[in-house]
Amino acid sequence: MADLVIENLEVHFSGVVALDGVSLNVREGEVFSLVGPNGSGKTTLFNCISGFVTPLGGTIDYGDLDLLSKPPHSIIATGISRTFQNLQNIPYMTVLDNVLLGNHSRIGNRETVRRWISRRQRELEEERALEVLDFIGLANYEQKYLSGQPYCIQKLVEITRALVSQPKLILIDEPAAGMNDQETMEIAKIIGEIRDYLGITVLVVEHDMSLVMAVSDRVCVFDSGNVITIGEPAEVKAHPEVISAFLGESVVA
Amino acid sequence: MKGRYDEENLKWIAPLIILVIVLPFLLRGATFSYRYYLYVLNIAGIYTILTVGLDLLSGYTGLISLGHAGFLAIGAYTSAVLVDQAGVPFGLSLIVSPLITGLFGILVGFPALRISGMYLGLTTMGFGFIVRRLIIALRTWTEGSAGLEVSKPVLFGFTFANDWHNYFLIYLFVIVVVVFARRVMKSKIGRALMAIRDSEHAAQAVGINLVRYKLFAFFLSAVLAGLAGVLFAHTMRFISTDHFDILLSIYFLIMVLVGGVATIYGAVLGTLFIVLLDFLAIPLFKDWLASFMAVQVADIQSLIFGCIMFLFIIFQPMGLYGMWLKMRIYWKLFPFNPKIKQT
Repeated sequence: MADLVIENLEVHFSGVVALDGVSLNVREGEVFSLVGPNGSGKTTLFNCISGFVTPLGGTIDYGDLDLLSKPPHSIIATGISRTFQNLQNIPYMTVLDNVLLGNHSRIGNRETVRRWISRRQRELEEERALEVLDFIGLANYEQKYLSGQPYCIQKLVEITRALVSQPKLILIDEPAAGMNDQETMEIAKIIGEIRDYLGITVLVVEHDMSLVMAVSDRVCVFDSGNVITIGEPAEVKAHPEVISAFLGESVVA
Repeated sequence: MKGRYDEENLKWIAPLIILVIVLPFLLRGATFSYRYYLYVLNIAGIYTILTVGLDLLSGYTGLISLGHAGFLAIGAYTSAVLVDQAGVPFGLSLIVSPLITGLFGILVGFPALRISGMYLGLTTMGFGFIVRRLIIALRTWTEGSAGLEVSKPVLFGFTFANDWHNYFLIYLFVIVVVVFARRVMKSKIGRALMAIRDSEHAAQAVGINLVRYKLFAFFLSAVLAGLAGVLFAHTMRFISTDHFDILLSIYFLIMVLVGGVATIYGAVLGTLFIVLLDFLAIPLFKDWLASFMAVQVADIQSLIFGCIMFLFIIFQPMGLYGMWLKMRIYWKLFPFNPKIKQT
């Protein structure tokens, strides 16, 4: 029902072809990975979905909603939230506040006014955020300021912020960039749990193949704005064009 | 789970309010020239209302304003004209004039949707100049650069006749504004504004409408400046364009900076510090300073404020409020202080 359907998406940045007629289809409840060399258009695709980039042509439909007609701040209301490749956190706010920020669209104006006088309302707001923090495993960090926390924690806080608004689809941009192996596996575990326990569809961009192979249901390989192949991890790994794009062809045929 | 949030806020606010109430009585008992001190405190209170608003705009939202003296002037002149020439009661003007100032705030906010940083600072500075010229141009109502005498505030049939009365009127608003600003900034609005300052992309991704929130920040800030303007006009009883020059806008920013950016209490502390310094400390030694330096006596004030700003930026970027927080942590941990470095 609520599949993300992308058709013939075309994005040019003044002569540079970032996406050249990309079509793909993310099914509900799966972990869908985008891999590809730097500059192959993975993040541009994310930016199109979340409304930051307006494509030249093509359509993006989520369920029966046309995402391209929406400004960036209304995307979250359709149930799609995202994280960023470079950390986009608020450093001088506590971890809890950063997570509460993610709940912005779900807190109404009336609740905000009530919150000024009622402590109960404040706790209600925090309860949900604390639950998700607990789910990610950051319960001890809630009152700490984000600046000065390790990179891994900041990255996890960003994922938590994207999760707290109870989205149906979450876009995670390079969760394992700059992480060591142990932290990468931790992230892989969390992505699996997001799909299994929360039932959220995950679209993830990643370079770390160990993570991609560990969690993905399907993998899509990009190269210079084109989709090379889409399939299950094992198929994709054996695909001749993928091997030539990533590893180079062998000299002896 | 219970009451983690705002705990210290509630614990500190009651003693502070009591201090504000008994302070004038203490001053009367302890000093001979208490009326002058009350006058100085009144100015500090009026400026506090404004700097809290400036903190919301420049500290939390990161939109630099060098035009807040302009908003102060609009509030002051609007109220003066409304009350003395249109016959509007002071109580009504107290609500209407800030709202009118708020509309001007939205007007100035529109450029902020496209530009930021220094460029926005220059735009708002231009606004400050425009307001001054406008006041001089609208001579029929404002009497141009000659200045305008303003009536005493009358609320519910009670006339606030002297600085003693004005003190309670002004500090009632100071308390309301500070508590209100703290509450707003701890709610989703405050988080949204800080998100706009630090990452517009993240803000949009979590569903924050940048246009609406930036304009709201300007509106709220201008409303508070307008409120300060109304109180300024009716308690100082004389306003002229000289009261609202560009230097004042810069001093407001210094007050926020010295107090501690993006902390409401910081704006209060910074304003008190700068105003008390200006009225009580600098007069003591400015003639002495001018006697061996090649500066005019009138320029000593800007010289000292500039130096203070530099010293704070270099040695105490978190401002007076940051100093207080560090002190509190120090005493809490005493005598087991690790060598902590606050970030």
